[in-house]
Amino acid sequence: MGILVILEQKGNSIHGMSLEAVAAAQDMAEKLNSKLSILVMGNDIDPLTQQAKSLEASEVIAVNHELLKEYSCDGFAEITKQVVEIESPEFVVMAHTYMVRDFLPSVSVFTGAPFIADVISFRAEDGNSVFTKQMFNSKLGSDIVVRGGSCGLVSFQSAAYQASAVKRGDTPVRQIELSLSEEQVRSKSEEPFQESSGGVDLTSADVIVSVGRGIGEDTKIPMVEELAKAMGAEIAASRPVIDSGWLPPFRQVGSSGQNVSPKLYFSVGISGAIQHVVGMKGSQSIIAINKDPDAPIFELADYAVVGDLNEIVPKLTEALQNQ
Amino acid sequence: MHFSFFEQVILLVFVIFSVSSFTYEIWKRISIIIKGTGTLPIDRIGERCLRFFREVLLQEKVIRERFLPGLMHALVFWGFMAFGVITLDHFVRGFNGRLLGETAYSIYSWVAAPFAVLVIIGILYLAYRRFYLKPKELGKKSITSGLVAIFITLLMATYMLTELDLPENIEKLNWWGHSFLILAFLFLIPRSKHLHLVLAPVNIFFRSFTVPDHDTVEIDMEASEEELDSMLSGLTKMSKKQALDIFSCVECGRCTEVCPANRGGGLLDPKHHFILDLKDPMLHSSGVDVLGQINVEAGWECTTCQACTDICPVGNHVEKSDEIRRHQVLVEGQVPQEYQKVFRNLQESGNTEGAFQSPLADSLPDYTPDKDYLLWLGCFARYGLDPDFENSVRSFTKILDEAGVTYGVLTEEMCSGDPANRLGDKLTYQMLMEQNKEQLEGVKKVTSLCPHCVVNLDQEYKKYGEVSYKVEHHTQVISKLIDSKKISVSRSSSEKLTYHDPCNLSRTLDEIDAPRNALNASSSKYFEMEEHGNKTLCCGAGGGLWWKKETKGRTHLVRAQQVVDSGAETVATGCNFCFGMMKQGLGPLTPDDQKEIQVKDIADIVAENLVAN
Amino acid sequence: MKIAVLIKQVPVSDSTFRPAENELWIEEGQIQYEMNENDSFALEEALLIKEKRGEGEVVVVCMGPSGRAPRVIREALAKGADRAVHIVEEGPFETDPHQIAHILFESIRSESFDLIFSGLQSVDLGMGQTGVLLGAMLGMSTATLAMSTEIQEDKIRVKRELESGWFQWVTLPLPASVSIQSGINTPRYPSLKGIMGAKKKEIKTVNKTDLNLSEGLQKVTRIYNLETDKQTEYIEGDPDVQVARLMDILKSEVKVLGA
Repeated sequence: MGILVILEQKGNSIHGMSLEAVAAAQDMAEKLNSKLSILVMGNDIDPLTQQAKSLEASEVIAVNHELLKEYSCDGFAEITKQVVEIESPEFVVMAHTYMVRDFLPSVSVFTGAPFIADVISFRAEDGNSVFTKQMFNSKLGSDIVVRGGSCGLVSFQSAAYQASAVKRGDTPVRQIELSLSEEQVRSKSEEPFQESSGGVDLTSADVIVSVGRGIGEDTKIPMVEELAKAMGAEIAASRPVIDSGWLPPFRQVGSSGQNVSPKLYFSVGISGAIQHVVGMKGSQSIIAINKDPDAPIFELADYAVVGDLNEIVPKLTEALQNQ
Repeated sequence: MHFSFFEQVILLVFVIFSVSSFTYEIWKRISIIIKGTGTLPIDRIGERCLRFFREVLLQEKVIRERFLPGLMHALVFWGFMAFGVITLDHFVRGFNGRLLGETAYSIYSWVAAPFAVLVIIGILYLAYRRFYLKPKELGKKSITSGLVAIFITLLMATYMLTELDLPENIEKLNWWGHSFLILAFLFLIPRSKHLHLVLAPVNIFFRSFTVPDHDTVEIDMEASEEELDSMLSGLTKMSKKQALDIFSCVECGRCTEVCPANRGGGLLDPKHHFILDLKDPMLHSSGVDVLGQINVEAGWECTTCQACTDICPVGNHVEKSDEIRRHQVLVEGQVPQEYQKVFRNLQESGNTEGAFQSPLADSLPDYTPDKDYLLWLGCFARYGLDPDFENSVRSFTKILDEAGVTYGVLTEEMCSGDPANRLGDKLTYQMLMEQNKEQLEGVKKVTSLCPHCVVNLDQEYKKYGEVSYKVEHHTQVISKLIDSKKISVSRSSSEKLTYHDPCNLSRTLDEIDAPRNALNASSSKYFEMEEHGNKTLCCGAGGGLWWKKETKGRTHLVRAQQVVDSGAETVATGCNFCFGMMKQGLGPLTPDDQKEIQVKDIADIVAENLVAN
Repeated sequence: MKIAVLIKQVPVSDSTFRPAENELWIEEGQIQYEMNENDSFALEEALLIKEKRGEGEVVVVCMGPSGRAPRVIREALAKGADRAVHIVEEGPFETDPHQIAHILFESIRSESFDLIFSGLQSVDLGMGQTGVLLGAMLGMSTATLAMSTEIQEDKIRVKRELESGWFQWVTLPLPASVSIQSGINTPRYPSLKGIMGAKKKEIKTVNKTDLNLSEGLQKVTRIYNLETDKQTEYIEGDPDVQVARLMDILKSEVKVLGA
């Protein structure tokens, strides 16, 4: 029994969100007074194993198999199933990435363990492990528990925990041999590729930097684009900016554009006309910069920055780039 | 001049060839027109004759819409009328006869000769305009137009030569020249836009008095499959009048010139998309089943403002967005996602927003039969599509209260169906209309601040059957209250005030005066914008486009820019959609150093200047 | 080609949600329901495949109460689905995705589908796994986040969306269960002929209560308003101070900065 956290590989290192999952798993292990194991799987995973070693846990379990060289739902689900059967953990913890969404449901079917997806927090309450998840378009919260004492598969939403909270250590590695045959991997994957996205899907963006008429002129757009880039955000705009042709129409938020509900809506020079507000009021957090202290956007914002965006935006961009 | 037997045979051959070719081409088109659905309307015959007299014989509309080219056109037209008798006489001479006696002819020549000069002036100006000034709306260079200009000039020249005393052989040569020109012209007419010479007068006579005038689509949910198929296949067939329109088009491009979608940089070009693009398919198929071929993307851009139909000099009902949209919705099922959402909201909740509550409606008195008016709010006001519009509703109720007029709202008011109707979902429209008619049973007088609702509750519902009530737009009610001194208004408003005519109010309901009466009573600084009355320019929200997410053009900014340029401090409107659209447009367009232009409803202006009785 | 499409009736996403008194579901009074948006993309993809191949059958499978589920079923039939399976569930509504998949499994196991399409996730529970669970239960190959599909004889080639603008083509043997990402196509509107024709199409009903079910694997114990104390914090001071505070917020309060 214990917590098993599975690391996801990105390039030659640990996926950023997996570190958050480790932080979550460490927190769970502490609260539940359980042992924590870290699972790394793949092919030629020594670099990954080395990185995993430095994370505080009881052990790192490494599964090396040539069929795990590329991700496949079948291969990853099968190996995870075998590890779960051997180790019988109380919880399997991962980050809620696109890969996890893909193969963890299959693990759920193979092992009979429920998959509690996209949770934002964990607490131990009267001996129960309670997970919190957003429901109903992220507007309500719900508490979820595993029924009947079986193992639970849990994925944590990005930023539910902070990667910087991960405790470091020097953890022993245990290699295990597991079997996986070519017939078991039914899918064939091609090389991943990138697409220049002409039409951006603002509705699925986690962070949006949105710009309004307050920026004054189109020459200021690159300044805000820099900020968005530094923040890993999509850039969006209110109608006046779109109407002036400063940004393309698919970037418009509001009654005549997209309705968005990102984790963070960072508005720059937007006053907060109702036509705009209806498209973004569902955002989880709103930060607004405006020079007018009475701008209606401030009534909605969690954080109101009254000031000159021409000064604040470049400074913030710099601070973000330097961190 | 004497014509030998041989000469007469040659003449006869050419006349027969030219006349039969002309007749054949005309007949070909008539046989297509009569395949159209419905009948050509002949109601209000007196008004039709009067309109014919003014628009055809006096050329009133042509001259009014484009003064100089219009006047030149009129000169050519009147000249042609004058030359009818002379031309007939000309050919009778070829068979050694005379239509007019020598004296009668020479007297008539005194009338015709000056016209020959005027026609030459007219046609030369028109050629100068087409080939030198090259206005965009006339389109690509037209060879036939050039030919026709040369023909007409030569015709007049050869006619004038006959008036001179020429040697016999030259006179005869001139005679043959004149004859061939006429016969060639006759050959050319039906094959070109010059067919309008023949069809435009007919088309103007049959023009509908109702705008817009689309066929109703009645859907029987119990219909058999065959009945359904025949109903659906009928949706792409033109009416007789629509078919006549296509052949009457003179390709002047006035419709495209006034089209708000086109002016805003959109794709829609009514002259081509709604008219000329359909001509070849009609001729090729010898039929009228062509409405499905209208450019779909262009069709969705139309704001149904009716400016194109209103301005057409040959009496065409240009706008055909209704036809292409209902085909897309009912037959193809191809509907932009944002409109699908509006339709679903209408079906599920009876309003465009899918809302359950209206705090505004809850705060107003309920309608009971003892009230003077049923105050129809419309979804825009009811569900706060622009929250500021609530104030305008309150302004209107303040006026009614002041005048002692009683009113109430329906607790279960549904959407009048305007978006469904204009966007082509006739099934949802029918459902809403039936429910609304039931609710309005026994109601006598309805008033609304939304001209879209007024048009539908009144004119559109009536197309599907009788209604028991009368509907007045709120500006009409206000104007009457001012005239009857039920309210007193002082002309104390001192801001520079102009008025944006809503399309539905001006072009469809033909209400130009009531809003102006109300504004002039309240303001001494009222002025007209250049495009006003039934020449107004759409705000961009009509035809369901309020709900459109992405448009190629910037339709809504063209009008707002005009308001900015007019120097107005306040712009009044009489329509909630115009109100909302104006506000969205004026914000970004107002220069930073200029005070933001106020957008108000007429009710707001009057209410602000009410004087207690 | 026999394709099952899982569709769900869910509250319109921009509704105002309030927890029900028992805190186990929402207050349903003033909620409008519609076909889950992702599912309408899945349905459209299935219809496009059928139309392109000129043969096949599209069956929609929907679990929900008899009061409102038939509306989205009829909408799907009107759009062109051939028949429907309606699993009647009058509530309390199942919230365990494994259990939901099991119910679907019991209801359609006797039919051998070549493909199962589902929407990526639902607006209400947002578990994002039912389609894959069902596919795995049926022994199918599975893929998620499809942004394009191609049928190749006995295989399906799926363009999967990966993170941050990356994509990957994956080929799976049939039968397969694929979850569809929004934006893959342009969902149609039911034509009049479709609406009229839908009245004659078969809707098979299965009662959830008639199925032999064991207890689920996970349980929602409480649904509640998330704490949203919209206390606006005004960030004052000179730009440097403001930026420092902003960085702090981004890192530790809003938490949008990755490691």
